[in-house]
Amino acid sequence: MRDPRIEKLAELIAGYSLDLKEGQVYRIDGEDVSVPLAVALYAAAIRRGAHPYTKITPSGLEEIALEEASDEQLTYIPELEQLATEQLDAWTSLWGTVNTRSLTRVDAERRRLQLSTHYRMVNRRWERISSGELAWCGTLYPTQAHAQDAEMSLSEYEDFVHGACHTREGDDPIAHWRAMSETLGARARELEGVRELRITGPGTDLRLVVEGRRWLPSDGKHNMPDGEVFTSPVESGTSGDIFFSFPSVFQGQEVENVRLRFEDGAVVHAEATLGQEYLRSLLDTDSGAKVLGEVAFGLNYEIDRFTRDILFDEKIGGTMHVALGGGFDEAGTENKSDLHWDLICDLREEGEVYADGELVWKAGSFLSEPEPAVERV
Amino acid sequence: MHKRLAEVLVGYSTEVRKGDTVRIESYDTTALPVMREAYAAALRAGGHPTANLVLEENDETLYKEGRDHQLDWISPDQQWNIEHGDVWIVFDAVTNTKRLSNVDPERISRRLIARRPLQSLYLERSARGEFRWCICGAACEASAQDAGMSLRQYEQVLARAAFLDQDDPVAAWKQFGERLERVGDFLDGVRELRVVGEDTDLKLGVEGRTWIRAKGLRNFPDGEVFTGPQETSVEGTIRFSFPAMMRGRQADDVRLRFEGGEVVEATAKRGQDFLREMVGMDDGARRVGEFAFGLNESISEYTGNLLLDEKIGGTVHLALGRSVTGTGGENESGLHWDMVCDLRDGGEVYADGELVYRDGAFTNGIN
Repeated sequence: MRDPRIEKLAELIAGYSLDLKEGQVYRIDGEDVSVPLAVALYAAAIRRGAHPYTKITPSGLEEIALEEASDEQLTYIPELEQLATEQLDAWTSLWGTVNTRSLTRVDAERRRLQLSTHYRMVNRRWERISSGELAWCGTLYPTQAHAQDAEMSLSEYEDFVHGACHTREGDDPIAHWRAMSETLGARARELEGVRELRITGPGTDLRLVVEGRRWLPSDGKHNMPDGEVFTSPVESGTSGDIFFSFPSVFQGQEVENVRLRFEDGAVVHAEATLGQEYLRSLLDTDSGAKVLGEVAFGLNYEIDRFTRDILFDEKIGGTMHVALGGGFDEAGTENKSDLHWDLICDLREEGEVYADGELVWKAGSFLSEPEPAVERV
Repeated sequence: MHKRLAEVLVGYSTEVRKGDTVRIESYDTTALPVMREAYAAALRAGGHPTANLVLEENDETLYKEGRDHQLDWISPDQQWNIEHGDVWIVFDAVTNTKRLSNVDPERISRRLIARRPLQSLYLERSARGEFRWCICGAACEASAQDAGMSLRQYEQVLARAAFLDQDDPVAAWKQFGERLERVGDFLDGVRELRVVGEDTDLKLGVEGRTWIRAKGLRNFPDGEVFTGPQETSVEGTIRFSFPAMMRGRQADDVRLRFEGGEVVEATAKRGQDFLREMVGMDDGARRVGEFAFGLNESISEYTGNLLLDEKIGGTVHLALGRSVTGTGGENESGLHWDMVCDLRDGGEVYADGELVYRDGAFTNGIN
């Protein structure tokens, strides 16, 4: 049976996120488990006069490649992928999978090699996204595996996903995301006047310098769901302590109760109750891995719980997150790293945020609405 | 069994070599396990495989909702594969064999016409040996249902037809290939064939044409010897024993009458409109692009899957439309529609006036 919410989600992505136009070449990528959404996206694209096609990969191929491929095969980039990366007008990545931990036990070195090739393509993709040549949106088709990670039944998880995307029955998702875009844009402009942020909460008292950096709204163009404002902080300006109450899953490995101490922008002390070794190995990735590449406010209040999936978790309304490693060019970063690891700090109970000494956020919300944008005449 | 099949496809049918690109495709999730095995086997052979599940539902959307410019469009991945790919393995598992039954036939023929240049390139590169493709039978519920059996039974039919039940399938294919050579060698010397059967008396000129011995390389399972008859030579009538299947549609009890190589009368008990639309698609669609003997005795029952049916030992088939590059056939068309005639019960074939085949087997000692 067709789930009308999936059709709604597809219309939202084709019509709002990607704004697909007549004649545009559009590829939909995903694993076999995401087929219903791929089919709905294809139909939405056809209705807009675009030229869609799909690349549906059987689950498990990455694992097979890790077992069977030579290093040369593992790092091979098909010419077709290069052409797609250079030429597509629009692209959707469907992240739904059948098992979120299928690669937990593979050879870490081989996996790094496999991913390094993948990231080269992703980096080039981002160049074209940033320059406006390519519209790209990543989303997730709800599956049992993701529901299991979120400790929900599939039907509960579907409700959760469509709530977060505003694609429930009766919702007007495009109107919602347009309004959200206004609000987030206004908030970003407001934050651009701030020199220093101070975040306090349980185990947390952290100062970040954000002066001169650009704040960007994540308003459903590149992710669905979405809902954050973020920037890349000044590299040498982070100092103090931060505690992350949510577990963090990175590349299929879990780390719990991470505590970090920063001095002059870099991590000087790191501990975790689970995955301490892994935490330290990630920090040792390269020199940029100890420095923050991102600080962000999670502002999607339909996402009200931790689900072990960063697409949702980093947008939980009332949280902040920081990322160790590479920052965003468009925010003005200077930090380079192969790592970009988001860690989420729950500020919904006792958290406070001060902007240049003034309390602006308490218990998970900004204290004031952002100034609305000036109407253009 | 999946691994065994994958090894034969990669090692024998398509001979994947180091550095080859290998595109693996299917249409139904039942084929996912065998796609994974083919992916692994291609990696072991040194190739660069990718695998893609083609979504048939999208075809329906395209035919029903797409505008002409969308219908005519060819995706970059298909284009690249035909232009530059080395190996293409397609598992023919599908979700629903009748999925396009209610699509306007004109839309189907429009799309086929738009793809004609790509089809030609595909056949040219294939004939030059630059592009090794294989369409491989794969079990799925839809095909099992058409065959009137369970999925498990259908798997067994396929395994038998592909010699996968034998100790050394590749050796079995090589041995079978020798027999196909004998049949081909004989047919190479023939000028005219006459096929006689129930409501069938058809003459075809085949002089100077090349008979291709299909030994499990481009189709798997396989087992036919085929050529492209002289374009203006076909005369007489033929009645096809099995329903003619095409792109998720079918025509039952098709009868064709030829004059001067062209269809002058085409009737079907069911699917008459579809048959007429296809035959009227372009000039070449009225002519015969292929004539073949099915020679695989490990396939005996009609299943409704052309890949198997056209190889049934004791049948002949012809295709309306495009001839296959390499046979000497010169017919061009967006269509290539195979239809099968069962000769096992009283059918006869005369080669230059001499009876050489009766009741589904050659009688001249070349079997």
